Amino acid sequence: MIPQLVTIRHRRDGRVRRLYIPVVPLLLVLSPLLLPAVAASLITCLFYQVRPVRALYALGRLLWTLPGTRIEYVEGRTALLVSVR
Amino acid sequence: MNEQRRQILEMLAEGKITADEAERLITALERSQPEPPPAGATGPKTRPRYLRVLVTWVDDTVGGEPGRINVRVPLQLLRAGVRLATLVPPQALTRANDALSRSGVPIDLTQLKPQDLEELVEHLEEVDIDLDEPSSTVKVFCE
Repeated sequence: MIPQLVTIRHRRDGRVRRLYIPVVPLLLVLSPLLLPAVAASLITCLFYQVRPVRALYALGRLLWTLPGTRIEYVEGRTALLVSVR
Repeated sequence: MNEQRRQILEMLAEGKITADEAERLITALERSQPEPPPAGATGPKTRPRYLRVLVTWVDDTVGGEPGRINVRVPLQLLRAGVRLATLVPPQALTRANDALSRSGVPIDLTQLKPQDLEELVEHLEEVDIDLDEPSSTVKVFCE
């Protein structure tokens, strides 16, 4: 399953900022850029002699396996959390 | 009491983490560990799904404030990552080999095959690194 929600939480000097990024709606909003992005990726693949289908498959797998990733950093009064669900 | 819970309590007792942080860690631990099967039940051993890197330290230069890095990465993501690494074009691998040789690391990346990388990730499931120093601890394990 592709990531549904990316949460970024930042705390500095007691002030907490949270950013929730809903991935699917964001992709829908950015979908008009899909065609130029695919064209640019295709040209890049051809330039670097990488098979486009293999590259697409590998990138898709990477995206599919992202949910569950969690990175947390805390030092004193500063903290950063990135969570992918 | 399992090993990870005991270590959290030890860090709390040593003042490396606060009670609030210890509670959060234990809650995360309970959430990540399923209930043990009932006695007598013989099911297949569950395979680990995540690679965890847990680093805690106390920085004496900033008034002994504790620090923590807690990373959880799905093992499937590592597998997908190594697949992506196999797409690196040969000329880039040659340049990487040259750079590694200059740095004194004579590894030939062109000899790495996808199946080797898969095997590497498979064996990563058995990794358990535990470093304990007076002011810091490092744990790398799969869960």
